[in-house]
Amino acid sequence: MVFWVMLSVAFVQQLTVDPAPGILGTKSKTRNYECDRMTTAAADKRRPGLFAPARPRGDFIDRSVVVCTERMMRPGLRSARDEAILSNLDREVGDFALAAKALRPELLQKTWLVETYYPSAQVSPKIAFATKNALMGQGLSVSDRSPALGTSDVAVITRLPPELAYSAACQRYFATGSLGENDVMLGVVHRDPRETTLHAGLCAGGTWTWLR
Amino acid sequence: MKVLLAILFASLVLWAPTTAHAQAQAGLEEAQRVELERARAEIADQVHLSAYDLIDELVYGLAEVPVFASPTPVVLVSVTVPVGLGTGMQALVENHVAAVLLENPTTNIQLVHCPTCTAVVVHSGKEATVVTRGYDNPEVMEKLGGTTGQHALFIDVEAEGTWLVLRARMTKLTPDLPIVWSHTVATSASTPALLRQPDDLKSASEARQAYLDALHGRGPVAIPLRFAVRTYAAPFDQRGNPPPPFIWLQTGVELGATDARAWTSSLLVGYSFVPQAYQGIMAQGRISRLLTGRTRSITRPDLYLFGGATVMSVRGLATGAFQDEIVNTDDIITGLEEDLEPRTSFGALHVGLDLRLGNRIGFSTFLETMPSLRRSRNMGDYLFVAGVGFQTLGTEVTLWF
Repeated sequence: MVFWVMLSVAFVQQLTVDPAPGILGTKSKTRNYECDRMTTAAADKRRPGLFAPARPRGDFIDRSVVVCTERMMRPGLRSARDEAILSNLDREVGDFALAAKALRPELLQKTWLVETYYPSAQVSPKIAFATKNALMGQGLSVSDRSPALGTSDVAVITRLPPELAYSAACQRYFATGSLGENDVMLGVVHRDPRETTLHAGLCAGGTWTWLR
Repeated sequence: MKVLLAILFASLVLWAPTTAHAQAQAGLEEAQRVELERARAEIADQVHLSAYDLIDELVYGLAEVPVFASPTPVVLVSVTVPVGLGTGMQALVENHVAAVLLENPTTNIQLVHCPTCTAVVVHSGKEATVVTRGYDNPEVMEKLGGTTGQHALFIDVEAEGTWLVLRARMTKLTPDLPIVWSHTVATSASTPALLRQPDDLKSASEARQAYLDALHGRGPVAIPLRFAVRTYAAPFDQRGNPPPPFIWLQTGVELGATDARAWTSSLLVGYSFVPQAYQGIMAQGRISRLLTGRTRSITRPDLYLFGGATVMSVRGLATGAFQDEIVNTDDIITGLEEDLEPRTSFGALHVGLDLRLGNRIGFSTFLETMPSLRRSRNMGDYLFVAGVGFQTLGTEVTLWF
């Protein structure tokens, strides 16, 4: 009887920690998890004390651990687009900074400015913040200055198709002196409202180049 | 008139469901809004401690490797929190930044107030009229009376998947607005808050080491010293007399499967002695399962469910009731003879709950069944469930060394 009581408790407890949907877990809860499979040694490092690491001469059976972590924000609290962009923000801007440094080594000594084109006024400064930090992380010289255009320029550029608008804006930034010879602007762009990724382009010497 | 009345009636008939639907829709939207706000408040409540940790880590880094060689005025221009978590959390985070910076003057950051830095400034020049925040336009700020700060500090906290990421940057308030320092730190959603003291900050690695030391401090093996009292239920017909309460002193070894001590097993031996009444020895095996969480806590009590088996051997006058037949006067007189005193051995199974404080001291209670004495007329049952009668109720106090 004691055996069955202990077995039942273990079974119920296992159900409560199992990330798979089932009796005690819903599908929406499962969707909110990010899971990684790892070795017992890596799992012990991440969650000390929970897993017995493999013995020095190995175990009788191969063991691995699936560590599931709940996302910070529950689904529905932010728009799906913002959630998708913000979830990968660090990796995305890190890739932009790395690509900018690798593809245009002649620009390394210049001052880098960042401009974002994203529909949400709350998310846009966060993308710019992350991008600036990523560029600083690459050892580049970054400025907080924002290039500006006159209202007439803006009125014309906003009527252009996207493939022309960014290069036209870049030309005007350079022509009006908002961006100097020693400045490079990294533009982070969300081109389509249905996209869940960001694009980036470089504006240097009045020429716009897409990085991605 | 009839036509007018008919139109009015028709209008009412058509209008009523529309209004009801609109009201129901409004009620639903209101309920959704309330639910969203509740969820936001709950998450902000959970996240703000992690945000505090990140700020502590940031300030610890600034104290260890200061950006400035000497105390420098800095304007805390902007603190932003995860999108969707509102301004309440923003105020909390902003206050914590200021509090921790004030507690740690070795950062060489002197927070100063600069209303013009955060104000919206409209500047009309020869080329255009520009609307900016003050810190974006240092030249205009200077015209407005100068700034008290030389540098601006920006802090942003954002929830990115399973990570909470804090980014900070320091900008020099000159026309070129160069960023002179930036830093990014992150913590996982599953990482417990470190709750560091603001006036005695530790690095995350030091805090982790302190946690591991506390976790591993006891090691997998512990030595319990247990005082147990077993009481026996009176028979239902009140014709027999149950055994008196038995006091046991037990010790042995307890082994945890991992440092988390979610599962533990113990093997103990015990001794019981009351002069002129009884003495006994016992051996006990027990398995315990942690119910409160997946790892034992170093800050709050832990509750375990346990089950096990005991073998007891007792002798003495008071042990005569450990038999099936009712103890009578003849049995007691016979038992006074030293060679004929009652003695018996039996097994028992128990299940119970154990409340432990810091794995140092515990209080437990259990029910025990003695299968070989299930027909004893000297004992009743405290609990009879699924065909099993629990004749014994026990309580224990355990110290672990």
